Amino acid sequence: MQALLSFDQAPPLAAPLRFFLTAPLFAILAGLLLLWSGPDLFASRWTPAALALTHLISVGFMLQVMLGAMIQILPVAAGANLSRPLLVASLVHVAITLGALLLAAGMLSYEPLVLRLAVFLLGSGVALFVGAAARSLYGVPSTNPTVRGLKLALSGLSVTVGLGLLLAIAFSGGFELPLPLRQLTPIHLGWGFVGWGVLLLAAVAFVVVPMFQMTPPYPAAFTGTFSWSVLALLCMWSFAAGAAWHWPSAILEGAVVLSVASFAALTLQVQSRSKRAKFDATQHYWRVGMLCALATCVLWFAAAVVPALAERPEWSLCCGVLALVGGFMSVMIGMLYKIVPFLVWLHLQNRGGGRVLAPTMNKVIATRQIDRQMYAHLLALALLLAAVVWPLWFSYPAGLAVVLANAWLLRNLLTAAAFYRRHCLKIEAWEAATATPVG
Amino acid sequence: MHAITDFMVNDHRSCDGLLVAVEHAVVNAAWATAQTEFARFSDAMRYHFAAEERVLFPLFEQSTGMYHGPTQVMRAEHTQMLQLLASTASALEAADSDDYAGSAETLLIMMQQHNLKEENVLYPMCDQHLADQLDALLPALQRQIAGQDESTR
Repeated sequence: MQALLSFDQAPPLAAPLRFFLTAPLFAILAGLLLLWSGPDLFASRWTPAALALTHLISVGFMLQVMLGAMIQILPVAAGANLSRPLLVASLVHVAITLGALLLAAGMLSYEPLVLRLAVFLLGSGVALFVGAAARSLYGVPSTNPTVRGLKLALSGLSVTVGLGLLLAIAFSGGFELPLPLRQLTPIHLGWGFVGWGVLLLAAVAFVVVPMFQMTPPYPAAFTGTFSWSVLALLCMWSFAAGAAWHWPSAILEGAVVLSVASFAALTLQVQSRSKRAKFDATQHYWRVGMLCALATCVLWFAAAVVPALAERPEWSLCCGVLALVGGFMSVMIGMLYKIVPFLVWLHLQNRGGGRVLAPTMNKVIATRQIDRQMYAHLLALALLLAAVVWPLWFSYPAGLAVVLANAWLLRNLLTAAAFYRRHCLKIEAWEAATATPVG
Repeated sequence: MHAITDFMVNDHRSCDGLLVAVEHAVVNAAWATAQTEFARFSDAMRYHFAAEERVLFPLFEQSTGMYHGPTQVMRAEHTQMLQLLASTASALEAADSDDYAGSAETLLIMMQQHNLKEENVLYPMCDQHLADQLDALLPALQRQIAGQDESTR
């Protein structure tokens, strides 16, 4: 109950902003890695460069954005404030930033010490965050689908990172795994994509899509059952996959993929009934994200029908690009364009105490710049998909496009940070000019 | 057990609908219609704030003893929304679609994150603490929301 009483202490802007500003740097690094490794990266999903690139996006970009957003979402959606948010944010941010860098470096170099250091940093950073979030959520009843989804997504993150740590230590020659590496990897991947990524996204979508895009609500029967049923399916599938029960494992995996597909399809259907007069970049980003998620699921089912498809390296790489860059990154960038300008406005408004009014959100990042960045992102996505099929032709253009789209994103977010600083100075100057001299 | 939540959430959605009407008029450059629709929206918002600040919050504060908790934050956010309503109104008077888009978008997000806090946290707490006062409370809220309290007009 204590947690419910504290939603006046909005976390300081610096707490989430550091995560948002770091995320594009990792995507830029991913683009540079592609330029450095060239077409060889696309030989298979198991090449060191492909593994490093995957983790630069998932741990570097996605984890940063998701943790930053959670700091902001927990108080609003659940009335749960992290205690000492700035301290927690600083420690978690340093740990996961260095951890992600070392993880990618370790995968590229096969250097056991680097991998183990990465494991230590990522493990402690995520454990600290999950601990702080769990503490803030303690006593908050899971009465609505969003609170329940947030809690379950945090457990999904813990399992993903736990399995990732096992894999990295085994990879660095630390110990012999009870399961073959290639049998444990899909379970790690399933938990990361679905148990953490999709569950968090869905928990957020259930409130964000109807309220901010003015759509009808998701059906209560869906939101009430989605998160826990997906998590239950994921647990059963992991068990069956770990025990190498071929058929039960395939059926349960199919059920998980079908649940994700139904979420994506339902989101598209709900969004198509938006009452807003025109779509903005965020809505386009959501739509692209859900279409890509749906395409990933279709590809998965195609390989279930035609097993030869799954043998081809292009198949898994295509699924990876669609899910990570097309699905998760699209939705996250779209959300950043609402979260960051709104937070800048809110903090300026609070800072000005109602005497100095803050300029509205669309002054923080120009709509034109947001739209152009979105086109750059879509171009990068298209070129990456082309590079999966024709690596010799498209690897370098795709790498360049990824660097361009994310440098643009970084520029847009830095513009917002500079806007905030500039207006804080204005408020300070106004306060100094109007202050009553003492004595 | 959700009577207060249901009643107030319903009014939130009704305010959303009124804002949509303004947005459609602005996109079609029907400025006179936009101003009329905005006046309806703005009134509905003020009546909703009045229902909370005059009826619901005082009762909640009395029954829980929490005078400086969530209700205080909600009142401060109402003030911020009134400022945004004023800047949106000026943009409409000037027929400036860019300024309108900026103010209305900020207002929408401010409104919805405020609604989320109320719908997920504060209203369920009201339902929990004020369940025995529903008979008098709901009609009083209804009067405020319908703008039947002369002092809010």
